[in-house]
Amino acid sequence: MKKKPEKRGNWYLLTGLILGVAFGLVYAWVVSPVQYVDAGPNSLREDFKDQYRLLVALAYLSDNNYVRAEARLKELKDPDIAQTLAMQAQRSLADGKTEMETRALSLLAVALGEGPTPVVTMPTATATVAPSPTSTPTPVVAEPTASPASVTEIATQAPRTLQPTATPLPSRTPTATPGDPFLLEEQSLVCDPALTASLIQIKVYDAAGQEVPGVEAIVNWDGGEEHFFTGLKPELGLGYADFVMNTGVTYVLRLADGGQPVPDLTPAECEGEAGTRYYGSWLLVFRASGR
Amino acid sequence: MSRWIAFFIAIALGAAAGMLYGWVFNPVEYVDTAPNSLRLDYKTDYVLMVAEAYTLDQDVNLAARRLASLGDVSVSAHMDEALAFAVQNNYPQPDLLLMRSLAEVLDSWNPNLDMPAP
Repeated sequence: MKKKPEKRGNWYLLTGLILGVAFGLVYAWVVSPVQYVDAGPNSLREDFKDQYRLLVALAYLSDNNYVRAEARLKELKDPDIAQTLAMQAQRSLADGKTEMETRALSLLAVALGEGPTPVVTMPTATATVAPSPTSTPTPVVAEPTASPASVTEIATQAPRTLQPTATPLPSRTPTATPGDPFLLEEQSLVCDPALTASLIQIKVYDAAGQEVPGVEAIVNWDGGEEHFFTGLKPELGLGYADFVMNTGVTYVLRLADGGQPVPDLTPAECEGEAGTRYYGSWLLVFRASGR
Repeated sequence: MSRWIAFFIAIALGAAAGMLYGWVFNPVEYVDTAPNSLRLDYKTDYVLMVAEAYTLDQDVNLAARRLASLGDVSVSAHMDEALAFAVQNNYPQPDLLLMRSLAEVLDSWNPNLDMPAP
């Protein structure tokens, strides 16, 4: 008896195709994936990006080359390079990193917030450096994005080991000169219900009325001390800094370069339109005496 | 054509399609790379930044640590590679000077002398 041929159809072809695709994907993704050996800084891991930004900031502190620093940072493809740097500067301060690193980051953040200036003082022999061959810098002024209400200072209880920072560094921005102590010009209670925390807000001006970044402020309270710098929130002004107060605690603030301390700073109540009560913030305005 | 031949041709076609998809259309994305994966010009700029930072802090250990993140080879090898690239691509003289001066410091640097005592 003759055996009737078995009708199997073409499923075996589909099976082979699926097996082949599976093999191909495993080979392409696992066994021999695409090797990225010529990556750009934007592909770096977050901690390496921080290190890269820090090196850019330190290089800027060294050569004061704004265009080059901006071109380098653009390679990281951060959405807002000035804001990212300012946030890293705050983290650097909170983590107790060296004063130089914090200042480098904050000064570059301030410079990026300001935009390029045509006249740059070059204090070192490296003043004539130019962008590297791969850079195509185009100076762009970063737009401020944060609103005052959304900004709060990260206050930690950890002791700081930073040194006083009144000595001027090479900078495109106005800085205080030794011998010009900042004097308290104004102290006022700010009643702004949009602020979510009660702050000590400081604004520091030089004798010419220019805001001064990089000024260290020290706030003391019973059992604690905190240091913070102006200019870390460039969107609020180069001479601006703030600190979050806790209710029931009395603070004393002074600038690191001397001047009189401002005592008895504690959250004070404000009254809203509907009779609601909330805590206001203290605004302290300092100005260089100019003597 | 026997079924077996057709079957293996289907596997080959599928494998080709899979590799095309995996290598070209949707390759593995490396988003958390280390500095050793940087292109040579970026590496050179990285070395230059380390050299610039060194002029501020004069900390050779710190400079060596920063350079070490560029890969497994010695920091001197990174310096040599970056210097060669910089010279070849006509980097400005001040940049070359900075890199050379750091290279000289690193050449005479002995990391074992800076290791903490047990």
